[in-house]
Amino acid sequence: MQRDVLVVAEQWAGEVETITYQMLAKGRELADGFGSQLLALAMGYELGRVTEILRDKGMDKILVVDDPALRQAGAELQAHVVSEIARRMESRLVLIGYNLVGMELAPAVAAKLGALAMTNCVNVELRDGALVVTRPLFDGTMHARILLEESGTAVVALQKGITPPIQASGKVAPVELFEVDLQGISFRSRLLEIIEEPATEVDITKADIIVSVGRGIGDKEKIPIIQELADALGGVMACSRPVVDVGWLPRDRQVGASGKSVAPKVYIACGISGASQHLSGMSESGRIIAINKDANAPIFQVAHYGIVADLFDIVPALTGEVRKAG
Amino acid sequence: MKIVVCCKAVPGVVTEVRAEADGKALQYQGQFLAMNDCDESALEEAIVLKRAHGGEVTVLTMGPVTALDTLYMALAKGADRAVRVDAQLQDPQCSSVVLSAALKKLEYDLVLTGAQSRDTLSGQVGIAVAHRLGVPFAYAVVDVQVPDSSTVRVRKELGGGRYAHVELSLPALLCVQTGIQPLTYVPPARMMRARQQPVRSFSLADLGLEAEQLVPRGYRFVDVFQPRRSSRVEFLQGAPQEIAATLLTKIKEAL
Repeated sequence: MQRDVLVVAEQWAGEVETITYQMLAKGRELADGFGSQLLALAMGYELGRVTEILRDKGMDKILVVDDPALRQAGAELQAHVVSEIARRMESRLVLIGYNLVGMELAPAVAAKLGALAMTNCVNVELRDGALVVTRPLFDGTMHARILLEESGTAVVALQKGITPPIQASGKVAPVELFEVDLQGISFRSRLLEIIEEPATEVDITKADIIVSVGRGIGDKEKIPIIQELADALGGVMACSRPVVDVGWLPRDRQVGASGKSVAPKVYIACGISGASQHLSGMSESGRIIAINKDANAPIFQVAHYGIVADLFDIVPALTGEVRKAG
Repeated sequence: MKIVVCCKAVPGVVTEVRAEADGKALQYQGQFLAMNDCDESALEEAIVLKRAHGGEVTVLTMGPVTALDTLYMALAKGADRAVRVDAQLQDPQCSSVVLSAALKKLEYDLVLTGAQSRDTLSGQVGIAVAHRLGVPFAYAVVDVQVPDSSTVRVRKELGGGRYAHVELSLPALLCVQTGIQPLTYVPPARMMRARQQPVRSFSLADLGLEAEQLVPRGYRFVDVFQPRRSSRVEFLQGAPQEIAATLLTKIKEAL
């Protein structure tokens, strides 16, 4: 009997994060390939709503750990729960989302289980019965395919957006409640509070057109040429992480895993190389236009239109063209 | 407070990447070695903490002699001591075995690492080291406060504009994000002085380890390739004016 695929569902304030549905789609495919079961793990407190939302999304069973201690749980506590469940179920594969929560959770779970972890994966598939993952290297300019040789538990952290989300199947999965002892363990890290950045005057997630600027701009004084294009198009200006790190634009303009996820009708990336953290925040945009001097920049892996050129040649020309067209 | 910062020298440009015959490692030509960007941020944070709370900063790297420049850079920025483990490993678990063995030979209240290195992009080593040392950890840290001598309070990113405040008892390990501190400029004269400073060197044997123990387990590389550009990407060429006209048409179609 093949062992199960366990998807760690991610939820926030009663809402299930999109990446969970993508992992369930992938997990279903793999469990069918193994001839085993797809299990989902929901952990938190007062999970009634989350359980109901999840139950008909293609899984064979939903495991629920509902405990007041998990109301606001830090990574140490969550890793304890996931590793306990994976151990009890003897899971073949634990799927975790590779966002900022999963980046901490996946290695922590693997460490507790003594399991192999593959993070930052853009694919996981079965080849002749063996699991093969694909993941980026060297700033995303290369990808490696890696075959998992061990038959023990493997932890795979998947990037967002690599597969379409699973649809409701009409079949409602049974719920199994699990208790994990959280009292008898002394945790040396304590989550004090979770805070959300307050809404600001510019909400980049609501825009139809985003003109986004990256490290390639090179100089804070040059940022107005990006703003001018955004204004001419009736859009908003956004940016990648390095621009915020050096203080050239405020954090509410940042697109990517640690900033905002956006999906405008048009996304124009100017001088953005396309680290995976950035791509995960914008790859679902309607039309992606990328301007970059480096033809090998990963941004071209997701672009619809690519221009290998200096942004200082193209951006002002485009602004002029937009203004001319009125 | 005694702080150890783990810094990695990573290549700016790599060519000729391929999997070794047994699939256990990658071979490649790397050029323009430089300190990994979030490791540099971790170092800057360590120096700021030292100035505020006293203590000392040790910078630790694992790598060949060509990684020494990274240590000199760290000394020039204000680290007090530098340690190099003479080993070249790609596997995160093996790296964590070596780094944790080196850390056990050093004194620390706080260990700082970058969140992820630009070459392997795995983001596992810091947390694996914390597990081996048996100390609490926090990932994607963007602010560090030291309320007393036995505690740190950090702000960490959860993504989507959410943050967590977490309290950790010392000793602890923090995986730091870029942007936590501005990067400082190192004048050439200070870099020259830093090159005169001693660097302590550990061999694997010094750490009680053998190369045979440090073989990646449980996986092998099948192949390495340049990711396909999306089949949809269309490259526009011509004079900026022509490209601009084409782009405007494409933008109008998409709205």
